[in-house]
Amino acid sequence: MNFFACIKQVPDLAGPMRIKDGELVQDTDRMMLNAYDASAVEEALGLIEKYGGELEVVLAGPEKAKETARKALAMGAEKGNLISLPPDLKLDSAGYAEILSAFYKDKEYDVILCGKQSQDTDAGLTGSMLAEKLQIPYASNAVGMDVDEAQKKMIVTRQGDTGQEIIELSTPCLVTCSNDMNEPRIPSLKGIMQSKRKPFDTYDLEKLGLNSEELTASKVKTKITGYRDVPGREPGKKLEGEPEELVQQLINLLENEAKVL
Amino acid sequence: MSILSYIAISEGKIKRSSLEVVSHARKLAENNGLETHAVIIGENAGEFVDEIKKFGVGKIYTVKSPLLKDHINRTLIEAVVKVIELDKPKVVAFASTEAVKDVLGAVAARTDAGVISDVSSFDLQDNTVRAIRPIMATKFLAETESSADLVLVSVRSGSYDVKESPGDAEVIPVEFDLDEDSLKQKIREIISTSGDKIDLSEANIVVAAGRGVKDHEGKKLVEELSEVLGAAIGASRSVVETGMFSPTTQIGQTGKVVSPQLYIAVGISGAIQHVSGMINSKTIVAINKDPEAPIFDIATYGLVGDLYKILPLFIEQLKELKSK
Ligand SMILES: Cc1cc2nc3c(=O)[nH]c(=O)nc-3n(C[C@H](O)[C@H](O)[C@H](O)COP(=O)(O)OP(=O)(O)OC[C@H]3O[C@@H](n4cnc5c(N)ncnc54)[C@H](O)[C@@H]3O)c2cc1C
Ligand SMILES: Nc1ncnc2c1ncn2[C@@H]1O[C@H](COP(=O)(O)O)[C@@H](O)[C@H]1O
Repeated sequence: MNFFACIKQVPDLAGPMRIKDGELVQDTDRMMLNAYDASAVEEALGLIEKYGGELEVVLAGPEKAKETARKALAMGAEKGNLISLPPDLKLDSAGYAEILSAFYKDKEYDVILCGKQSQDTDAGLTGSMLAEKLQIPYASNAVGMDVDEAQKKMIVTRQGDTGQEIIELSTPCLVTCSNDMNEPRIPSLKGIMQSKRKPFDTYDLEKLGLNSEELTASKVKTKITGYRDVPGREPGKKLEGEPEELVQQLINLLENEAKVL
Repeated sequence: MSILSYIAISEGKIKRSSLEVVSHARKLAENNGLETHAVIIGENAGEFVDEIKKFGVGKIYTVKSPLLKDHINRTLIEAVVKVIELDKPKVVAFASTEAVKDVLGAVAARTDAGVISDVSSFDLQDNTVRAIRPIMATKFLAETESSADLVLVSVRSGSYDVKESPGDAEVIPVEFDLDEDSLKQKIREIISTSGDKIDLSEANIVVAAGRGVKDHEGKKLVEELSEVLGAAIGASRSVVETGMFSPTTQIGQTGKVVSPQLYIAVGISGAIQHVSGMINSKTIVAINKDPEAPIFDIATYGLVGDLYKILPLFIEQLKELKSK
């Protein structure tokens, strides 16, 4: 199977961040590969090891996001694609889906993988938007995947509301991946060295027949007007001591203070 | 024009979170001079009409078909799009269930709508939807708006109260058919893990287990505790990964969002990705042997100690309390 993975560069959530002049600023500027996309890359590599095929990755973002695409190459993807965007262009999931669908228009693929959501926006929309634009079947929130070689189908286990659904999709198709699917490999030194020699294409919006003004005016339909800190919780009580005392106190508090028993 | 609420049905019941959504939608519709409409989609959609009539809605669309027995995203998309084309609403409000997450982006792409997912609140004013949504594993809140002609919003469960209101809805059955071959997908198997247990996303009390719950004995304690409390069982990613708890129980950024009256975290450290899914619980109890565990920063009542010693006593005392 021929795989493509859509990967996004996101800020490292473990680092400090704050709101300044209405924008979110990162003190360290450390960026990383969206964890869900790392799982998508890992899953594709695992299936390729088993059944053969190739993986290309595509990332839309500013020039410096190239380092994140390189990481996927170091993990084992064969080819990288960067859709280079102006650094000040503000896009929502619909905007990215539009760009990605323009990229895929003349590509040949069996399976497109996305992450189930971006770790920074937690939107969870781009994958199904892209599938709809490309008019291909899709499954979201995948926790497992396999290939039915004989029928050229993807077998996807997805996490639904009350259990897991095992679905077969005709190819070409799109799958959005949960990070509960696998443990992404850490690139080896050899992988890192090789990644520098792997083919890499760079696009801009114009090359895809798009432009920033039109995207912003007609495709992007939501905007963020401000950020807020999450309201803090009332300070709680920390109880220490012997288990018997702790339980006694807890029961008392739940019964008489919180009134939840 | 209307605000259309999507009524989610799961395991033969209306999801409470959809009732929260329709209660709020009615208020916004009143404020904006719009009508309140609802749509029920499913194999037995008609059965739920009477319940929804109690929410002061003007029209209820029902889409009923054997094709809608199990969740298949393509059928749900086609059904929702059909009703949107019929009703031409200003806003469609959904409860943020897994089934809705599965189709929301596709429905937005098809109907050229603005879409704001997983909000904790939303308002409509001057044709603009303004919403608050937690981002970055609930490290921050983003004020997000859309002025598109049609806006789709999905709402986290527990964001609004359920409020009935008198009304006499007109019921509009919608014809629905689809060529199954055109789906290009098929369900091979459904592994249901819920059975008749309490629905985690709507439970009043949740007992959640983390890596501190190491073995069968620990798991049994968690199950016993949840049983005496009538609680649903939740879990952190660590114990879902090891296979000790089912993936359906995972709470957090990747898993479910819950907001019960009482959340008891047993042997959970309190990583932001976990906290993201439970921070809106009313009372949080944490049992952890590490006094520095971050879960204590958000706990209403934090117990520093060994869960293997605390839980048996806690269960025993709760039983005693109940028998009184
Ligand atoms: C993109 C992304 C998404 C994620 N999504 C989720 C998600 O949805 N849900 C989720 O839970 N995690 C998620 N995670 C993982 C998360 O970061 C943490 O790794 C995970 O929540 C840790 O689980 P834990 O608290 O059970 O384990 P640990 O962090 O290992 O904590 C175990 C705790 O148990 C305590 N303990 C041990 N023994 C005992 C005892 N005998 N008595 C009392 N206490 C004891 C320890 O002191 C410790 O604090 C995600 C991570 C990423 C990167
Ligand atoms: N700029 C981007 N470049 C490549 N893929 C992207 C980009 N933005 C989103 N995606 C894909 O869409 C998924 C997340 O969708 P969303 O949560 O809607 O942002 C990611 O996991 C990626 O697979």
